[in-house]
Amino acid sequence: MKLDPAFIWTAFVQLLSAIPTTLEIAGVSVLCGSLIGTAVALVRIYRVPVLHPIASAYVTFIRGTPMLTHLLLILFGLPMLIDAAAESLGLPFRSVSIPMIGFVYISFSITEGAYMSEVVRSGMLAVNRGQFEAAYAVGMTTPQALRRIVFPQAFAAALPNLSNSTIGMLHATTLAFAASVVDINAKAQIVAATNWKFFEAYIAAALLFWGLTFLIERLTALLEKRINSYNRGGVA
Amino acid sequence: MIRLTQIRKSFGRNEVLKGIDLTVSKGEVVAILGPSGSGKTTLLRCINYLERPSGGQIEIGDLRLECKHPSKKEIHRLRGKSAMVFQQYNLFKHKTAVENVMEGLVVVQKVPKEEARKRSVELLEKVGLGAKLDAYPSQLSGGQQQRVGIARALALNPEVILFDEPTSALDPELVGEVLAVIRKIAKEGITMIIVTHEMNFAQEVANRVVFMDQGAVVEEGAPNELFRSPKEERTRQFLQRMTPEAVYSI
Ligand SMILES: Nc1ncnc2c1ncn2[C@@H]1O[C@H](COP(=O)(O)OP(=O)(O)OP(=O)(O)O)[C@@H](O)[C@H]1O
Ligand SMILES: [Mg+2]
Repeated sequence: MKLDPAFIWTAFVQLLSAIPTTLEIAGVSVLCGSLIGTAVALVRIYRVPVLHPIASAYVTFIRGTPMLTHLLLILFGLPMLIDAAAESLGLPFRSVSIPMIGFVYISFSITEGAYMSEVVRSGMLAVNRGQFEAAYAVGMTTPQALRRIVFPQAFAAALPNLSNSTIGMLHATTLAFAASVVDINAKAQIVAATNWKFFEAYIAAALLFWGLTFLIERLTALLEKRINSYNRGGVA
Repeated sequence: MIRLTQIRKSFGRNEVLKGIDLTVSKGEVVAILGPSGSGKTTLLRCINYLERPSGGQIEIGDLRLECKHPSKKEIHRLRGKSAMVFQQYNLFKHKTAVENVMEGLVVVQKVPKEEARKRSVELLEKVGLGAKLDAYPSQLSGGQQQRVGIARALALNPEVILFDEPTSALDPELVGEVLAVIRKIAKEGITMIIVTHEMNFAQEVANRVVFMDQGAVVEEGAPNELFRSPKEERTRQFLQRMTPEAVYSI
């Protein structure tokens, strides 16, 4: 077998067109996952009756099963549910009109939400109780105290984990091939299919992922520097 | 005016406050003394509902609250009437000195930002921190942090400021600057309840001294009276332990 370095470059250029799909999936999942995760974390920290055991079950189930399994369950299960619901309501809507990437968004958001809830929880637990009490003492309501005082500090504390989680999701987008969505990895396969130079194509994909990951790392470092200036004594 | 009636608090089976009655008039400075574990902190925390009293009644200004089943709104209103200076300062870590002071004004009292900032700068100048407006708490000494804490409390213009051992986390050489600030605002007629172990300071700044032990008020009176001729044996013993000489050297 001989390596064809020139084809690595050719493949690399062709892979660029798949970047938006990959970033969209990662972005939507991290964003929705953060929202779900925050809600779940609050429910668990405040031990909200009824919701609390449900939230705990959600986290253990999702973290206890593979992400690809979630995607397959959603792909095969959700359309049946939607069609059954639409039919019983007499709506003309059918699940086939939902683009495949929609199922990927839903599935990955659910996965990410479970992991993110632990990230958020650890961040919140890192905030000193006295901060909350001071917020109450100046007369804030709980939502005000959370928004103005606790979340910013929790975010700073959770940033390294958050970055980790985001990178993990970026790489996990490669599973979207199971829903026939063409991300960077699937695109590499397509590119190589014409001449069977799979190795070169996957090297190009690896380099591309590495580059994107590097960007996330730099972004985190910048953010960390800004946010944590109050901890280290530097003024932002 | 503040009136506490039969405030009770238990942690599990441990009854920490056994029916405290305390009235503080407007402009009065009340010092609370007592041995460790007597419930001083718990009492202060009950007044702004950081701790939920098991029973009793709290009256501040025009608000009267039954401690058994207050609504969220009542608790919120109660907290709006007091401010607290914490032993561990508890400044908002991610905000500068001036932002710390502004926060309550802007978020709770809805004062426009510009005006809030102006008032906050004035208050920080008053506590001697005009040069540290943009410093984060991590860049300030303990004494400076506590003075920001006092400015933050003053900014809210509350009916009463609650001080929980405001100097006991400080290095000895920093205590003076904080006491000086409290002394200064005491003269301005701001109502204050101060838990402290600084006997000389209590004697000098308070209009009235309350001695607590084991969750009850043992004795209260004017500082000169209480320090010079305590009626109760427990008070006498405590004072002797705390200030072997100060009692007699007025
Ligand atoms: N959150 C809590 N849970 C259980 N017990 C508590 C709690 N807070 C205080 N206590 C108990 O209540 C009692 C009174 O505590 P408190 O902190 O009010 O005393 P204090 O008079 O402020 O003492 P110190 O002078 O040491 O600050 C103590 O026995 C303490 O152990
Ligand atoms: Mg105490």
